[in-house]
Amino acid sequence: MAKETIDARGAFCPGPLMELIAKLKLVNVGDEIEILSSDKGSANDIPEWVKKVHHEMVGVTQQDGYWSIVVRKAK
Amino acid sequence: MASNTLYILLCSGEHEKVQMAAMMASVGAVSERPVEVFVSMNAVLAFEKGAPADKRYRGGAFSKLLTEKKAPDPLTLFRQGRELGDLKMWACSMALDVLGWELDKLEDGLFDEALGLTKFLSDAETGQFITL
Repeated sequence: MAKETIDARGAFCPGPLMELIAKLKLVNVGDEIEILSSDKGSANDIPEWVKKVHHEMVGVTQQDGYWSIVVRKAK
Repeated sequence: MASNTLYILLCSGEHEKVQMAAMMASVGAVSERPVEVFVSMNAVLAFEKGAPADKRYRGGAFSKLLTEKKAPDPLTLFRQGRELGDLKMWACSMALDVLGWELDKLEDGLFDEALGLTKFLSDAETGQFITL
């Protein structure tokens, strides 16, 4: 299982989500992607999107001024 | 159950409305929901090929903020929606006729075809319809 990180800090909604989706297309099932976002809306929206399209949320962690959102590709 | 299609009729060239249409279209399309956008009237002008960034949209106070904060550009969002999801875009054939424009006068890679309103409305009967 691979894990990649996208630094989308400074990008506004829906930029971080779009960056995540573009990366998900490139990785293998089971791989994890961590996206760093300073956009609070994305910290809420990305888990909603993951649920809607049936990938897996690994976790959301608030850091100093940004969120770390980890998603596992499930399909 | 498959989501029903979201149909967006975009008539305004206001930055704020084009931005909202682009956000709804791109997020909807990547959320496994088909989206179709019909672009007409002043909105067509926002898609003119090669228009300078500061002339492409008209807008108010929020437009300034979107630009200052470097919010994603609407054209970029539409392109991402098409690349990553099920997003179709149509240019109003009547608006193109009035302008004397062909489809190639609009930004590349965004529009499927020119389309008449009658066909778009007919297709939209079974979906959710939003006008901006």
